[in-house]
Amino acid sequence: MTDFKALLRTLVEGGVDFILIGGAAATVHGSSRLTRDVDVVYRRTRDNIARLAAALTPYRPYLRGAPPGLPFRLDAPTVERGLNFTLTTQLGDLDLLGEIVGGGGYDALLPSTLLIRAFDIECRCLNLDRLIEVKRAAGRPKDLEALAELEAIRDEGSAEPR
Amino acid sequence: MTDGERSSIDDVIDVYKRDVDRTLIRQRLTRSIEERLEDLMELQRFAEELRRAGRRAAAAS
Repeated sequence: MTDFKALLRTLVEGGVDFILIGGAAATVHGSSRLTRDVDVVYRRTRDNIARLAAALTPYRPYLRGAPPGLPFRLDAPTVERGLNFTLTTQLGDLDLLGEIVGGGGYDALLPSTLLIRAFDIECRCLNLDRLIEVKRAAGRPKDLEALAELEAIRDEGSAEPR
Repeated sequence: MTDGERSSIDDVIDVYKRDVDRTLIRQRLTRSIEERLEDLMELQRFAEELRRAGRRAAAAS
């Protein structure tokens, strides 16, 4: 099970610049669909990557679905030379995305975010309109039902989440 | 979005939208962000318990 509270707190308290996207962001906007992981777009600066690696290392991040025992380390050089990582951690599944289809990276998405507060922390979350746009851009059939729900939420006149 | 900007994907989404439970959405929108995330974790726990029960039943049969 993914501990959304602990994962978000770990990133925030580690000083990581990130934007919550994906199913957890949909939950923030009112979706009732089950999601099992936390998806974030992280800022691709050297300092932020160092903070990201330092924050997550205690929770033993590892490549999700890969056989055990591989010499993987989520350190700064690994993140700098990669881009997107689908991980397991002791806090649950986490997708670290340097860029997303139809949205770009952190700085491109930042104007389309809102600051949310939960569990005594604050973090950035993609707004509903942009979340719908990037899900459409991803073009995955499994997202179509999720898109229908998100559009219905928008139709209901969901203002910014409380 | 005008009709001219629509694609068949919009038509597919509209088909799915017919089955969206808007009562549930309205209920969810009364919840705070923290409550929505807590609900998601509770749903995860419930789903995991069901998976475990399924595995136990399969092993016993």
